Amino acid sequence: MRRALAAMGLLTCAVPVAHAQQVTIGPQFVLASYREVAAGLRYQGTGFGGAVSGRLRRLSAEASVVRLTLDPSGGGAATAGFTATEVNAWVAYDVATYASLEVGIIRRTADPELDAQSVGALRIGARSFTEIGPGAIVLFRANYLAAPQFSGGGRAPFSLELGLGLDVRLAGRLHGTAAYTFQRINRKTNPGGTGELDAPLQETVARVGLALGL
Amino acid sequence: MSRSVQALVLLAGLLAPVAGAQAVQNATLRRAEQAYDNLEYRQVLSLAQAALREPLTGPERARAYELLGFTYGAMDSILKAVDAFKQVVLIDPERQLDPNRISPKAYSAFDVALRQVLLVRQLRVDSTTFVGGQGAVPIRFTVTQPARVVTRAIGSGGSGRSFLIDSGAWNGQVNLRWPARLANGDPVPAGSYTVVVEARLGQNAFSGAQPIRVSHGAVDTVAHLTALPGYEYLPETEIPPQSWRPLGLAFLFTGGAVVGTLGLESSNLGSGSRRELGVVGGAALVTGFVMTLRKPAPRPAAANNLYNRLLRDQIARRNQDIEKENVARRQQVQLTVAPLPKPSGAAR
Repeated sequence: MRRALAAMGLLTCAVPVAHAQQVTIGPQFVLASYREVAAGLRYQGTGFGGAVSGRLRRLSAEASVVRLTLDPSGGGAATAGFTATEVNAWVAYDVATYASLEVGIIRRTADPELDAQSVGALRIGARSFTEIGPGAIVLFRANYLAAPQFSGGGRAPFSLELGLGLDVRLAGRLHGTAAYTFQRINRKTNPGGTGELDAPLQETVARVGLALGL
Repeated sequence: MSRSVQALVLLAGLLAPVAGAQAVQNATLRRAEQAYDNLEYRQVLSLAQAALREPLTGPERARAYELLGFTYGAMDSILKAVDAFKQVVLIDPERQLDPNRISPKAYSAFDVALRQVLLVRQLRVDSTTFVGGQGAVPIRFTVTQPARVVTRAIGSGGSGRSFLIDSGAWNGQVNLRWPARLANGDPVPAGSYTVVVEARLGQNAFSGAQPIRVSHGAVDTVAHLTALPGYEYLPETEIPPQSWRPLGLAFLFTGGAVVGTLGLESSNLGSGSRRELGVVGGAALVTGFVMTLRKPAPRPAAANNLYNRLLRDQIARRNQDIEKENVARRQQVQLTVAPLPKPSGAAR
């Protein structure tokens, strides 16, 4: 968590120097839903976090840190909740007025550590964005999660992430933001060398917040 | 004729003799005028001739001959009337008669008299301003008989330089244009000049003069253009017509997220939560709907911008031409010529 905050702070400090006019920073309220291995192991929760974004000509960057409290959903097999800290980061390069190529990272850690899988992966993908009105931008992103690492071991040859984003200038420098992320990781494990078993992970996150343009 | 007009004519008839009487100081001449007003022509002749034997001013002498001319004209002695009018114009070459106020006989006698003496009349130099080398001073005068006429501009002061304006045979109305330049093309020095017109016919000669003042000034430069008359800059942005596009785009992006989520959901994990997608997708749709209702954002008008750029280029080119012209104008001299009041006895 400390390293995540430090990275976010570094981004906050570095981006305004590059281009002060197009940097936003603000708090976020988070809704999340998490499933692991089987339909019965499902959690829902809320949390808080912050996000920062910046743009320098065709290059843009975005990062967020959220802390989630996930509790077992009703009717599920899970008996105890856990706390997750999730760090997301993207760096994108505009290849058209409506599309960017992007790379990034994701790191989600669970606390207590063994109550859920901690995940780290690289993101490679693209996003499309368009202005739907004065100061209102909507975006759609699709990322492949490459080289995922799990605290419980295993591998994931197919992992995808989809996203829907919205940024609306409410007044002056104040923006309203909303972001939806759906993550599907086809994790496979081989406990004791007995053969591979499917242990998929699936998470949906909605981040709603305000951002102040600097 | 209305009563008011008749009253005005009567008032004018009463005032005119009063004005003439004020100019005339000689008592004999005044009596001659009164006799003329009373149509006592024989008395006019004797009184006017008596007055001419007395010391008179120039205007009084001209008036005495004029009375004689009118009287001889009224008495059908045309030759004598012509002789009297000759004396009038020799004394006062600028004398004019109003054909509406005197008899046709007297006027025709005056006209014959004008054509029998050599005179330079109605010498006029018009006020003018022009750039040296690009204009001329208009000079007009009338020569009453065919004559060799030499027109000069003679400088006042110590130098007294004389510039020949024209030399030729003229008769009647003459219009000349003096470029006011030296032989090398430079404008004549600033100062006072006298335009002298000398007419010569055999032994007879007559001259008229008109003083003028020539002054130098800087030529006005042309102001730079900020716009071309009749061509206005067009707005660089335009507001597109209101459409459903914002809501359509919101549907498209949200639909992509919905379809992607449904398609990627793991069958092992069961149906996932729709809460997160509902919140963000709903926000996107509401935003799209609001943006559909709002006035669209202005967007660059490509054609207008191209037109504005052409207009700016055109104005810049015109300003470059103006700057070149101003450089030339700063090296030029603007001449202003104005006539001065004539001193008495300018013609002879």
